[in-house]
Amino acid sequence: MGRMITIKALKYNPNSKVSRAHFAEYQLEETDGMTLFVALSKIREELDHDLSFDFVCRAGICGSCGMMVNGTPKLACRTLTRDYENGVIQLMPMPAFKLIKDLSVNTGEWMEGMSKRVESWVHTNEVPDFTKLEKPIDPQVAEDTFELDRCVECGICVAACGTKLMRPDFVGAVGLNRVARFRMDPHDNRTDEDFYELIGDDDGIFGCMSLLACEDNCPKHLPLQSKIAYMRRKLVALR
Amino acid sequence: MSNLIEGFLGKSVEGKKSRIPAKLDYWQSATGLFLALFMWGHMFFVSSILVSKDFMYSVTKMFEGVSFIDGGNPFIVSVAVAIVLTIIIIHAVLGMRKFPANYRQYRAFRTHMKMMEHEDTTLWFIQAFTGFAMFFLASAHLFIMLTKPETIGPFGSADRMITDWMWPIYLLLLLAVEFHGSIGLYRLSVKWGWFEGSDAKVTRANLKKVKWAITAFFLILGLTTLAAYMKIGLEHRDHAGQRFQPTAMIIQHANSIIYSKNQNIDMNTETPFRALVARNFSGIHFQGKGV
Amino acid sequence: MNVVYCDALVIGGGLAGLRAAVEARSKGLSTIVLSLIPVKRSHSAAAQGGMQASLGNSKMARGDNEDIHFADTVKGSDWGCDQEVARMFVTTAPKAIRQLAGWGVPWTRITKGPREVVMNAKRTTITEDDETHGYIQSRDFGGTKKWRTCFTSDATGHTMLYAVANEAIKRDIDIRDRKEAVSLIVENRQCYGAIVRDLVTGELEAYVSKGTLIATGGYGRIYKQTTNAVVCEGTGAAIVLETGIGELGNMEAVQFHPTPIVPSGILLTEGCRGDGGILRDVDGHRFMPDYEPEKKELASRDVVSRRMMEHIRNGKGVHSPYGDHLWLDISILGREHIEKNLRDVQEICMTFNGIDPADEGPKGWAPVLPMQHYSMGGIRTKPTGESSTLKGVFSCGEAACWDLHGFNRLGGNSVSETVVSGMIVGDYFAQHCLDTEIDINTKTIENALETEENYLKSLLEKDGKNNIFDIKLAMKDIMWDKVAIFRDGKNLAEAVDELEELYKKSLDVSVQSKTMAGNPELEEAYRVPKMLKLALCVAVGARDRTESRGAHYREDYLKRDDANWLKRTLTTWKEGDTLPTVTYEDLDIMKMEMPPAFRGYGVKGMIIENELSAKRQEEVDKIREEMEAAGKDRIEIQTALMDFPLQPYYKAKNERFGE
Repeated sequence: MGRMITIKALKYNPNSKVSRAHFAEYQLEETDGMTLFVALSKIREELDHDLSFDFVCRAGICGSCGMMVNGTPKLACRTLTRDYENGVIQLMPMPAFKLIKDLSVNTGEWMEGMSKRVESWVHTNEVPDFTKLEKPIDPQVAEDTFELDRCVECGICVAACGTKLMRPDFVGAVGLNRVARFRMDPHDNRTDEDFYELIGDDDGIFGCMSLLACEDNCPKHLPLQSKIAYMRRKLVALR
Repeated sequence: MSNLIEGFLGKSVEGKKSRIPAKLDYWQSATGLFLALFMWGHMFFVSSILVSKDFMYSVTKMFEGVSFIDGGNPFIVSVAVAIVLTIIIIHAVLGMRKFPANYRQYRAFRTHMKMMEHEDTTLWFIQAFTGFAMFFLASAHLFIMLTKPETIGPFGSADRMITDWMWPIYLLLLLAVEFHGSIGLYRLSVKWGWFEGSDAKVTRANLKKVKWAITAFFLILGLTTLAAYMKIGLEHRDHAGQRFQPTAMIIQHANSIIYSKNQNIDMNTETPFRALVARNFSGIHFQGKGV
Repeated sequence: MNVVYCDALVIGGGLAGLRAAVEARSKGLSTIVLSLIPVKRSHSAAAQGGMQASLGNSKMARGDNEDIHFADTVKGSDWGCDQEVARMFVTTAPKAIRQLAGWGVPWTRITKGPREVVMNAKRTTITEDDETHGYIQSRDFGGTKKWRTCFTSDATGHTMLYAVANEAIKRDIDIRDRKEAVSLIVENRQCYGAIVRDLVTGELEAYVSKGTLIATGGYGRIYKQTTNAVVCEGTGAAIVLETGIGELGNMEAVQFHPTPIVPSGILLTEGCRGDGGILRDVDGHRFMPDYEPEKKELASRDVVSRRMMEHIRNGKGVHSPYGDHLWLDISILGREHIEKNLRDVQEICMTFNGIDPADEGPKGWAPVLPMQHYSMGGIRTKPTGESSTLKGVFSCGEAACWDLHGFNRLGGNSVSETVVSGMIVGDYFAQHCLDTEIDINTKTIENALETEENYLKSLLEKDGKNNIFDIKLAMKDIMWDKVAIFRDGKNLAEAVDELEELYKKSLDVSVQSKTMAGNPELEEAYRVPKMLKLALCVAVGARDRTESRGAHYREDYLKRDDANWLKRTLTTWKEGDTLPTVTYEDLDIMKMEMPPAFRGYGVKGMIIENELSAKRQEEVDKIREEMEAAGKDRIEIQTALMDFPLQPYYKAKNERFGE
């Protein structure tokens, strides 16, 4: 018999005229190794069929389930209930994104906009012949590119960013990291001048106030601090 | 015409982004770095009072250029103050870009900060708040320094605290400067990736420790110094406005009475003392003659 | 009436759907991709281990080519696959991987010189040639002769998905997420698009298109224990089934992966074993060599999963509150290797079980148990990817039974299939959309919309006896208990009856919240009956197939029966029925490049031979002998044995080192 835990979830449907925002409280028995995915699924199955939230892979790979857990943005699927000693867990949707309902926010739309804004794809004029041997790449460079390619667009860096909350047009750590990723990629022929056109303003790299909540909360432990600093140095050095 | 078009479109005629935002960010950091380092020096000079009134007096005279102008000239201090004030204004203008611009932004940030309890986010708010406070606190201080540089000295500065009732402003200014400066230096380091080394996370944790150490050190130093001036100010309350005479000069004065009995020197006139001090500093009589 | 028109409609935004959409868009078609979730969150991202393609760059991959990849795939499928499709696939895979490299997938590259690896629990040194420095590296996976699985650390699917999604964004493909296709618009056995529900507003829209491609993934979530994401409910296949015309193929062919972690069911990649990790029992004994002396932990997935269950049945499992399990030990690979190449695995173990798998000895062992992992069955298509019966519908990826995998899929072949079929089927699909002019009455569209609208309204209004969540859980339990790794006639018959009963119950439920938008219970209410239809196709197919083949293992029919069962199960669903209609499609041995034989792993002597197998083998041997004598190369010989359709640019010869 596990202990009883209390989950308080913000319930609100902005599309409904009658919906009023409130915290709904649910009591349930904790099971061994219970994650918020397990807890919320159980709540929906047994206590409240109407509670909305997003999960996909439930393994911390897809980045769907970012939410504010006791005030801090986390991937809910990787958050264990046993880590909350008093057994009370408050859940809120991530700020900075459009609220769909309850704990569900529209990260997809925002991330697609971000991808378009920083032109998140390889820019090249070469059309390699795919029947021929591929272009060799230095193994270390490939690994460094991969390191930055591990971002799962969960939106936690964005939700954690005070700058972004004040200034809705701020590109966020995810966008700055993406630029650093393509700058690293030898397949991409863009120059720093090109990258400046994407993020060289106060909504981009020069708007960042180095609050570093992105770095401190990134579930993939991406080197955001270093990479943002690196891009800033490179873009400031341009004539 | 191109300025008109660029201002209207937000990009140049060639469709390029302006390089100005990069420069603004750079100069915000550069002026900040200068001011932070300047304030370290300033603190050390001001705290010379903890050694002795004479020492503080000597430091003051040094800044009046006593080593190359006979007797020094407080105008030099005014010029320095004007430069620093200009840099502060530039830094403030650039820093203001980051402030919350309206209530919505302010509320969003405050809610977020309280909910998340993330240290660096909270520190930023302190930094912004103290920066804002300094618009007024530092201006008051600098205006006086600009207009009355000759009053700087062990008694003059102390009287300013007590008799002129400036100590509350200086106390607040001290807190603002030390928090703003040390947080600012820490943020500069992480913002530009200084001292990063092989593991940025470890470096940052260390930088954070250094930051707190610096804050603590300068706060203690500053508070002690302020207390010292206040103590002098209290003791000197009845003679407020009277200038400090360095010990060496009193000796000199005594000697001069001995050597030229006919001369009657008014203790309250400033100029002859200056000359004497200048001579003392040139090392002729400074020490040697015991009392 | 809310109608959206486009040339090419792609339902499903995982790797296969996006890759096909890129193909369609590149041919100038207006292309819309619909997805339940933001496309970069698709389950493709969870593919950790890698993508098979016979590049043959690295030392352990040297000498690899399409022929060896083909043979591995056919054996892996237990001769259940379509060999023409397998040929199309292996020929295109190297091109796919090279194209992806250009699109920014940061494939792990070869470093020249010596490196240490673990093979058969022993440390060995491999020295890579200077000339291959910087080319794409590959690792070992189950059921393959060569080290063929290309990878980016253990986040291969993620990096591929992002690269392809980014290419889709670059080409301005109209990607619309949080949209669910709930039925197809069909008239005269032709599909004209889909009726789609917006999951945010709850509104219905009609998408009308010249061609519709379904790439919605597998149906793993009909099982209680599965590695699949929560969106893998197979509803894309179900809407094809519900037309009454579209056929599903081999639905009983369901794969169980040997090493999901207990109890969360999160997959620990095959790369763990490929890189040298081993399985241990309650005594810490490495048991796989006892059962499979040659391939050991690296036999095909169906074999390893069964051996594990067998070992547990022999009383060698580790007891836990979640039932018995076994151990996966990767600590022998060394901390450095794990922290570089198996980092996600380490993170999963640490987060969900508090275990650091790099710790040596028992405290670093991860508890594992086979669970549902992959759906070989799906929408039955021709080699072009078009539905065998429903014109205008194409399908690729896991949603399809293109039939690359037959009755068992090789590790690394599914991620590979997503992109490769996206290229090949996507190309045929685009061609279809270019060539087709549609002529549809607006009344038809209106009817289709109204039908769905009325159905959803009826679900909200109905005051039924049952709770949809209870029904869903019951279905999952039945599938796990009776239609899983070990199957037999009695249990399967019971399962069919129970599922049928559940299906009837699912039509009589009540939904508590009465709103159309943002109502998760309503979504369950219309999805679960679809899932039950699929579950019934699986169970009926399994009950009727009285043989063991690949992942389909009947304890009452232990042998692979080539004499009677060398055929594909086809299921359709007539409106109003409570059970699927089953027919069969024969596989023609006399057209096979590789006639049925022993797989090389698993138990020997368990085949009921078809007399044609030997006959065809003789033919094949003769042709090969004659042509070799005449100095023909392997490609000419292959063409003579079994020519296959494929776009010329995909059929072109692949360049390799030393070839």
